[in-house]
Amino acid sequence: MSYQPIREKLQRKEVVILDGAIGTEILRRNVTWADHQLANKPDFVRGIHEDYIRAGAEVISTNSFQLCRRALYNHFRDDAHRHHIGARDLDERAGKLLAASVHLAREARERVAPKHAVAVAAAITTLEWCFRPDLAPSPDEAQKEYREIFQIVKDAGADMVLLETVNSIPEARVGAEIAKYVGLPCWVAFVCDERGLLFTGEKLAAAVQALEPLGIEAILLNCAPPEDISTGMAELAPHAHVPIGAYAHIGRFDPPEWMFTDEYPPAKYRDFAARWKQMGARILGGCCGTTPDHIAAVGALR
Amino acid sequence: MYETIRSRLNSGQALLLDGALGTELVRRGVRWRKHGLLTDSDAVEALHRDYLIAGAVILRTDTFQLNPRIYLNVFRNRSHMAHIGAPGLAELTFTLLRKSVEVAKRARAKANNHAAIAGVLSPLEHCYRPDLVPPPEQARCEHEEIARVFAEEKVDFLLLESMNTISEAKEALAAGRSFGLPVWVSFVLGPEGELLSREPLNRGVVEMEQGGADAVLVNCAPPEDIGKAILRMRKFTKLPFGGFAHIGRFSPPSWKFEFFPQFIETESWSPERYAAEARRWRDAGATIIGGCCGTRPEHTAALRAVLGTDGRSKA
Repeated sequence: MSYQPIREKLQRKEVVILDGAIGTEILRRNVTWADHQLANKPDFVRGIHEDYIRAGAEVISTNSFQLCRRALYNHFRDDAHRHHIGARDLDERAGKLLAASVHLAREARERVAPKHAVAVAAAITTLEWCFRPDLAPSPDEAQKEYREIFQIVKDAGADMVLLETVNSIPEARVGAEIAKYVGLPCWVAFVCDERGLLFTGEKLAAAVQALEPLGIEAILLNCAPPEDISTGMAELAPHAHVPIGAYAHIGRFDPPEWMFTDEYPPAKYRDFAARWKQMGARILGGCCGTTPDHIAAVGALR
Repeated sequence: MYETIRSRLNSGQALLLDGALGTELVRRGVRWRKHGLLTDSDAVEALHRDYLIAGAVILRTDTFQLNPRIYLNVFRNRSHMAHIGAPGLAELTFTLLRKSVEVAKRARAKANNHAAIAGVLSPLEHCYRPDLVPPPEQARCEHEEIARVFAEEKVDFLLLESMNTISEAKEALAAGRSFGLPVWVSFVLGPEGELLSREPLNRGVVEMEQGGADAVLVNCAPPEDIGKAILRMRKFTKLPFGGFAHIGRFSPPSWKFEFFPQFIETESWSPERYAAEARRWRDAGATIIGGCCGTRPEHTAALRAVLGTDGRSKA
């Protein structure tokens, strides 16, 4: 499997179904997500991927949100402090878990053996917290860290990268450049606010202009409520030449967990996705709070 | 209640502080959300009770790193929190603070025990990140909000735990004292043996004494480090002093949730070994001794054997 069948579908302007949430789905199934569960409960994580494939997902994303060296290191003053009191495997842990996340998604695809083509997307996000562009590292640091991450997921066999919940053009640009350098097809998904702007205040039109020349395969919107995604889609669609897509979150962020609500049952979520399709989106999926049932419902839009 | 504590400390008796809450709750299978205070308050109460049975004469509230910032920090700003966050997040901290005192008091009442309850305040940002400490005026305000709730809920005194800079500790100390509560200040140590901020331990101790602290401690570092610091503290202060060490190694969460209490390899410090180490702290003049992350009621029980059945030293 490779990205090629997905690329061809998008070139034919056909709809591609992305999976739904994995982190919140772990919570909904009554397990803590604090450790990604990649090492402790691999069968459980793989099972969620399998459910999304059965629901019709053609791109499944790895359970690796915010999983990076920096996320672990941020809990310590510095290297000396980490080495003094931290778990002994912390220097290697993020890399191992990232590779494991790709392996689990690939295994799920083998086990379900779907009739449709399924690509495994390594889900990678901002190096610092996704909602806090003010914390972003310098482009030099970001380049170094993304290079390591992208190489790990490529070596583990990912078909593509889904750079998601990105909050600024500069960090997106670094990610897109590294994807090209490493040789992985890349979708970039931005989080947008109620006005359809990036969290830095930058415009989606500017994001399109900055990213399209870098060879990215698609631009998407994610991790905002469905109404905000619609607003963002109106900002994105008129400017994009590459395929575009969207996946909204439903329910409410209840740190450190997620609050599930019944505001957007699958049929209602599908109606939003239909609107995004009407606006030009061809990649449709679900972010936090969505379930395999939501993805099955969105699948009707193919 | 604090008068009993004060007179015991004045007469040189040792007091047994409880052990870890967060790491032990997680070890007991509690899913770490809202400090377990809403979904698992029975488990929190049971753990308080276990520490009382083990001989602790001071119970700490389950409020480590609990402040409005921990919720606000994972959003773009307040309006984003209101827009996509669960209802009530802005007030959640205060609900949980009150609940923490209620649960500790309930455990104490059921055990028919006279332990003192210490309201725990800690750094507003991550306890291991002195670089993130907010400016002094801001820190003062935010600690006051928390101390006010503890004062209203009538804790016996305040324990500022894992403080990582002198600046924030001073503000939190002043905030606590403004409500008329006795305040103990405990610093987290860095790998060099000084404060985590690299400020000298002696300066931290002296400034807390000058600021009106009732006791000075060190915590959240390995037992050997706590022991070395305690050997030095006697020279810097006339205040009662002590420490509580963490055992094992900090295993942080694989995504950004700031405080997730998980320590591994804790078996390397059996209760007996920990108590033997703490015995040296007692011999060096420490009178307040307990356990930090990774320790369990068994460690408290072993400490009691060293310090005496009601927290007194056998020495």
